[in-house]
Amino acid sequence: MTHKFTRRDFLKLGTAGIASAVLAGCEMPRRWVTLEPFVRPPEEQLAGVATWYASTCRQCPAGCGILVRTMNGRALKIEGNPEHPLNRGKLCARGQAGLQILYNPDRLSGAVQQTKRGSRDFRQLSWEAALNTLFSTIQAAGSSVIIWGGSTMSGHLYDLFQRFTAAIGAPAPVVFDLYTGMSGHRLLAEASRDLLGRVGLPIYDLSHADVALSFGADFLGTGLSSVRYGAEFGNFRSQPLGKRGYLVQLEPRMSITGAVADRWLPIRPGAEAMVAQAIARIIADQSLGPVDRVTRARTLAGNVDVNAVATASDISVEELQRLARSFATAEHPLAIPGDALTGQDNATEAVTAVQALNIIAGTVGQSGGFSLSTPAPSPALVKPVVSSLADVQKLIEQMRADQVKALMVYGANPAYDLPEEMGFTEALGHVPFVVSFAPIVDETAIWADLILPDRTYLESWGYEVVAPSFDVPVVGSQQPIVTPVFDARSTGDVLLTLAKGIPAAAKALSWADEVAFLIESIGQLPAGAAGGSGVDVLWARFQQHGGWWPASSPVSVPPASTLSQAIQVTPTRFEGSEQEYPYFLHLYLSNLLSDGRGANQPWLQGSPDPMTTVAWQTLVEINPNTAHQLGIQDGDVVRITSPHGELEAPVYTFPAIRPDTVAIPVGQGHSDYGRYARNRGGNVMRLVGAQAGAQGGNLNWATLRVKITRTGRKVALALFENKTGVTEGFVNQAFPGQ
Amino acid sequence: MEFPTRKWTMVIDFDKCTGCGACVVACHAENNVPIVREQEIVRGRAMHWMRIERYWDGTYPNIRARFMPVLCQQCGRAPCEPVCPVYAANHSERENLNLQIYNRCVGTRYCLANDPYKVRFFNYFDPVFDKPLDQQLNPDVTVRSAGIMEKCTFCIQRIRRGEEQALVENRPLRDAEVTPACVQTCPPGALVFGDLNDPGGQVAKLLANNRRQFKLLDHLGTEPSVYYLKGGESHVSD
Repeated sequence: MTHKFTRRDFLKLGTAGIASAVLAGCEMPRRWVTLEPFVRPPEEQLAGVATWYASTCRQCPAGCGILVRTMNGRALKIEGNPEHPLNRGKLCARGQAGLQILYNPDRLSGAVQQTKRGSRDFRQLSWEAALNTLFSTIQAAGSSVIIWGGSTMSGHLYDLFQRFTAAIGAPAPVVFDLYTGMSGHRLLAEASRDLLGRVGLPIYDLSHADVALSFGADFLGTGLSSVRYGAEFGNFRSQPLGKRGYLVQLEPRMSITGAVADRWLPIRPGAEAMVAQAIARIIADQSLGPVDRVTRARTLAGNVDVNAVATASDISVEELQRLARSFATAEHPLAIPGDALTGQDNATEAVTAVQALNIIAGTVGQSGGFSLSTPAPSPALVKPVVSSLADVQKLIEQMRADQVKALMVYGANPAYDLPEEMGFTEALGHVPFVVSFAPIVDETAIWADLILPDRTYLESWGYEVVAPSFDVPVVGSQQPIVTPVFDARSTGDVLLTLAKGIPAAAKALSWADEVAFLIESIGQLPAGAAGGSGVDVLWARFQQHGGWWPASSPVSVPPASTLSQAIQVTPTRFEGSEQEYPYFLHLYLSNLLSDGRGANQPWLQGSPDPMTTVAWQTLVEINPNTAHQLGIQDGDVVRITSPHGELEAPVYTFPAIRPDTVAIPVGQGHSDYGRYARNRGGNVMRLVGAQAGAQGGNLNWATLRVKITRTGRKVALALFENKTGVTEGFVNQAFPGQ
Repeated sequence: MEFPTRKWTMVIDFDKCTGCGACVVACHAENNVPIVREQEIVRGRAMHWMRIERYWDGTYPNIRARFMPVLCQQCGRAPCEPVCPVYAANHSERENLNLQIYNRCVGTRYCLANDPYKVRFFNYFDPVFDKPLDQQLNPDVTVRSAGIMEKCTFCIQRIRRGEEQALVENRPLRDAEVTPACVQTCPPGALVFGDLNDPGGQVAKLLANNRRQFKLLDHLGTEPSVYYLKGGESHVSD
């Protein structure tokens, strides 16, 4: 390149870019809301009358449609969008709490620079200066730029990031956060390839199923789409002609899904796949159910000894036979693999072993059966693809080898999400320039040189290719509900401004602003239910209805199973010896704080957890009998030590957990992330090791053993329930079976 | 035009309730219910107009947890009402609702003592909404100050909004047109709300000949407006 691009030129260009955005605002009032005196009120504003805007929830990767009630420019209440095919007007607790992300008092106003990393000594910077710093470093970094994204980023931003990295010759963005890590998004989607020949998230038609075996899946609490499965569960329990679905939950610690199950079976951790195999074996051996099921079971059932499985799983032979009979003779049986399976060292095999039951049942693609989420309706629209842990490890290696010159972190908090042993924070020390786009300073942002706070989802543009999508493909729309509350700038526009100065990227990212790019992407959707023609009308209806979906369900061809031989499952191996570490560790996503991203919202922190009724605190759940043997009472602070690290937290005696298991919810233990999240116990990821499962994809978070040590300290538990006379009684009673 | 007499009623189906807590947060958001800090919860001063009670049934390993959403039962003969010395706890005959008139309340807490369901909450402190969290506040609902007793209103502001809209459009209120925030958000549809005086309404239909129904502490003669449906029996035998 002959033309030398100077800093001064960029400054001009940057200002021009910003000016053009403002100018664009004058031309296209639909993009920006302008402040006007009320003598000339905006068209949509009537004093005392609420205006509702449709958008998409970003509290988890599911992408529920929302309607936000606004009055006088304030967002007042989030409700589900009744038109949206995914959630049909319903929302979970996290979805309801979204306003507290928008109005969070700890949000950054304006760009900040940190003189020394980790010092939390932030210096306010003008946006122009910040953009110039970003530009000069990214330009100097050449192709050694890495973008680390979270799974809840808008599709258009992921698209822009991808185009940007491709243009400058950098590696594709890495997408990884704890929510998708612990729900096993990538692993479940990849496992579908072996089962049905196509990558895709599994969906279960619970509404029309009659027997559902859940192998530890807390699909009503967190998982792939808790709102949709909540609605499905309502239908499951009140089907036509008085039919009522029957749910069996196999898990070591009772989740809310386990609490509403008809049978709860405390299975030994790691034995889920074995039990699934034993059920297939019994169907084959005892010829249970229709002939075709028996035939398929004979092909797919591994060579397992049912008696040995009973011993290893703590599920009796009679119980296994009962499960097999219920499953094989039901018209619409379902088997659902749980989150914990995706965190085992044999994750893919374990998931396949459970899904094989659905293949045996022959319900693939049918009403009341198992099928796959539909792909995006147009190649112009993308959904962030979650990276495998191997990719994450490779990236950290590159960082450590000084191969990464600049790291941009968007919508993810790897310093909190990843186990300490993975060495992410240490590897950050080798990266000369770290940029964070976090609206609130989180554990990763404190290691950043520059923070360019993005707008929160209720102030931003975007779209969401909904996955898992159930009946029809859906693209949710996202639009600003209110004018930005803080001086934050859209990362999409920051990226486009940045690209203008880098010749290779300027060509690939030539849009004036992100909205122009969005309109272009959305314009490529096929005809949808909202109808209309012409770009303006289609774009307006896309915003008005909260997204795009086809007028009628596409005719789906049930995918054929590609499984043709018996499933082999390597036995689950736990880290830590049984002598030194006598207890299994069961981690689970909190259904309020999810993977910790809800911890900065008082509505989620202060609402009692459904199973324990504890608010604001981290805790360790221990069976009352185990606690009694160890001389531990509620509120006693214990140290939980795994082969990888330790954590201190108060004990909550929980009667529905195996005596050989301790459970800790994920979500607390922030050292930053705002006043509501900070200093509420330790981060459970300290207990997890750096190893990926044998089959690559995910963290090995479900195969850990731990030991418990008393510290002698005691804290008062913030309980909503009164335990006097409730769980106290459990300790003194006879303890059958254990 | 006169507003018709209502019998606002909620039905809560235990067979569908998943205990997810969406109703709890929806209620906080709709009704400006403050979140109390950790230390206040330890002191037993948690405030949730809608709460999920979790009961254990049996012992490990044959143990079950059961969720029971509890909110003000909007009693026909409310024990909390007659004890109020300043008539802050008031009964609306037309809507069959128990009203709490905040600017009359002097904080004697007699109603709390006499409330068998423990669904009334006392503001021990002024609520704190760190700026700009105050912008989330619903302008239709008063923010209660210290010394005031508060409780679930069946989202009376949403009922009024619906009735006024029907009045403007000169038509009767449709069944299921108004829902409290908790009912609106409930993913499995475990909560159903409507006017029991409407014989064709979903509440009346749901309760007709339903052997699963019961009312909480009904033997006290409080005539609650919240009906619970016990968990059902499955056609699949164990």
